[in-house]
Amino acid sequence: MKRNAKAFLKAEYNDLVSKNLDWKLRILESGSTPHAVVDGKKVLMLCSNNYLNLSNHPRLIKGAIDAAKKYGAGSGSVRAIAGTMKLHIEVEKRLAKFKRTESALIYQTGFAANAGLIPQLVGEGDIIISDELNHGSIIDGVRLAKADRAVYKHKDMGELDKVLKEADKKYRRILIITDGVFSMDGDIAPMDKIVKLANEYGAMTYVDDAHGEGVIGSDGRGIGAHFGIEGKIDVEMGTFSKAFGVVGGLIAGSQDLVNFAYNKSRTWLLSGSHPPAVAGAQLAAIDVLETEPQHVKNLWDNTKYFKKELKSMGFNTGESETPITPVIVGDSGKAKELSNLLFDEAIFALPIVFPMVAKDKARIRVMINAGLTRKDLDFALANFEKLGKKLRII
Amino acid sequence: MSSKIGFVVNPIAGMGGKVGLKGTDGVLKEAIALGAKPVAPEKAKETLKEYFSNYSTKDEVQWFTCSGAMGADELKKSGVKNIEIIYNIFDRGTLPEDTRNACKKLLEKNVDLILFCGGDGTAKDIFEIVDKKIPILGIPAGVKMHSGVFGITTSATAKMLHEFVNKTLTIGDVEIMDLDEELYRKGEWNIRLFGIAQGIVEPTYVQVGKTVYESVSDDAIKDELAEHVMDEMEKSSDSLFLLGPGGTIDYIVRKMGLDNTLLGIDAVYNKKLIAKDVNEEGILNLLKNYPKVKVILSPIGAQGFILGRGNLQLSPKVIKKIDVDNIIVVSTPSKLSSTPFIRVDTGDKKLDRIFIKKEFMMVVIGYRLSRVIKIQTNNF
Repeated sequence: MKRNAKAFLKAEYNDLVSKNLDWKLRILESGSTPHAVVDGKKVLMLCSNNYLNLSNHPRLIKGAIDAAKKYGAGSGSVRAIAGTMKLHIEVEKRLAKFKRTESALIYQTGFAANAGLIPQLVGEGDIIISDELNHGSIIDGVRLAKADRAVYKHKDMGELDKVLKEADKKYRRILIITDGVFSMDGDIAPMDKIVKLANEYGAMTYVDDAHGEGVIGSDGRGIGAHFGIEGKIDVEMGTFSKAFGVVGGLIAGSQDLVNFAYNKSRTWLLSGSHPPAVAGAQLAAIDVLETEPQHVKNLWDNTKYFKKELKSMGFNTGESETPITPVIVGDSGKAKELSNLLFDEAIFALPIVFPMVAKDKARIRVMINAGLTRKDLDFALANFEKLGKKLRII
Repeated sequence: MSSKIGFVVNPIAGMGGKVGLKGTDGVLKEAIALGAKPVAPEKAKETLKEYFSNYSTKDEVQWFTCSGAMGADELKKSGVKNIEIIYNIFDRGTLPEDTRNACKKLLEKNVDLILFCGGDGTAKDIFEIVDKKIPILGIPAGVKMHSGVFGITTSATAKMLHEFVNKTLTIGDVEIMDLDEELYRKGEWNIRLFGIAQGIVEPTYVQVGKTVYESVSDDAIKDELAEHVMDEMEKSSDSLFLLGPGGTIDYIVRKMGLDNTLLGIDAVYNKKLIAKDVNEEGILNLLKNYPKVKVILSPIGAQGFILGRGNLQLSPKVIKKIDVDNIIVVSTPSKLSSTPFIRVDTGDKKLDRIFIKKEFMMVVIGYRLSRVIKIQTNNF
């Protein structure tokens, strides 16, 4: 049979387009700064994960340039063969110190950490217990594992306890996985309670702290520091691509964990290591977090101000405890309309609609940034108020 | 494109309830003599009012209905002008035949959905005609509503109608239950699974990109459940598997290439069907030859019963022999979204207490994926 080998490419893409499910890429013509140029238009950026605005910090830029000048543009290999540079080791040591854990390991991306490590931690005869609202990259990591899976209701410790009790009878290893900060609602997993329950049953704990790293805990040390349980979570996974302003995934925990992880994670073993410029910028990011506490403080000052003002206007900001600020508007159509109107007013904020969130909880998700000035926030607030009234949300 | 909705009211549904008759089948005169007043027309009116005031503005709907009390009256009162009468009842009382005849006419009109107002009896009458050809949605108005076709309240039903018209709900299997009313009035509880109809259900979504979710069909989920059950059978190849009734398990067993019964209990050993539609005695005989047994059950009907509705063959004696821990419950997530509990009503207080003590059960909702669901015993 002579087949048309590639017809599906166009057909499937067209199908996505017809259902309005394709990605329409917005193009940044500036850096990822609070005032960015998106698709040719100067806008206030309210949807980047660059929480501390570190991607534009002079020390990070210098770190990248210096490392590139000294060690070149690429690393030449995977970490396991000839691609581990002294710089990579230095980042890992500094990171462990920052996280107050015994050891740490850098992965190529956060997704590579989840997809590479989770399937190694559990196998056949084991069970992964997961919060129902966990993020996609955790879910894929979980799918790659041969273990059974059970989900518990979002942050419901009673239900987690019940699942543990059932799992205890039947399984060899138990791994509890949760997001640290949940990316849609901005609420925080009760990690102290999860660790306590895990200890009762001899279960492992794994937290994806992508949105907590650099944001919560003293000086942005993440969820372990937030609850004062540094080193007690078995795997603290995070990323350098959000608040740290660079790119790369990370895990922090015991030396045993790190030894196990880099010998077993296929994503780590089979991808090229970070270029020196990336490692140089990562190192500078840790430096900045340790020596310039104003960025984390600005982020939280901005967050508190923005939320307080939104609430006083009558907006519902849900359960958020972090700079992720959902502005809940109701149905999906309204959220998309508000997002479009905001863009007309030069504000870039994404709508989050059903089925990502409940049908009546569609929202604009505002990501607060330390680099926003009071004037920027007031400009955004004035537009939210004006358009909120126009659309009869408030 | 506009939707074609068939609308059928069973004006006498629910009348037996308020006067303690546990149903209206065959006892309408008695109910009226006891002072029963019509219930269904009011429920139909409430639902339509809710629908037209909250949801209908952008919905394009063509209505097809019966004359007078079987639909047209309530639609007219709600201000609907464009109604096509497909069946006339003139000025006499209504009978189950009227519901069935009206449904035949609605099928001829190729309606997309039948919205009806009634109880389990009405659902059964409709199902006898439409089978799985089109989905049905019930406005709850009967004395008994064990079938899975009903909205929880009149306002929930109005919302489901709107979401069906706008295609944000999908079509899935729902059970039609049948209680022998005559036996029931004598104090005997005999509720059977009558058939599997098409209802409208909440779709299941999976995340395919960072902010992109896609709905997964009910059949895709059932494929996963089938794979899970086949794995279990391989792992426990020395066990006899008893498979309960219902749409979900029916799908799983057919997927395995076995010719099972939809409504009864089948026995599978080594992936082969060794007994079909077995009764209590048959099961007890099997248990003598097979020391290791697992039972696969799925919630049946509207309230999430896994035991005591539609599978009385799994008697307390049988369950005690098999042991509660050897029950595996499987369900599609969409089904669980309408049944927050797993319910048991074994008819044996001691056995019910074992379930109460367990408090919750792990319910398999996908391939190697489960979640805990609370157990409730019969408290209706």
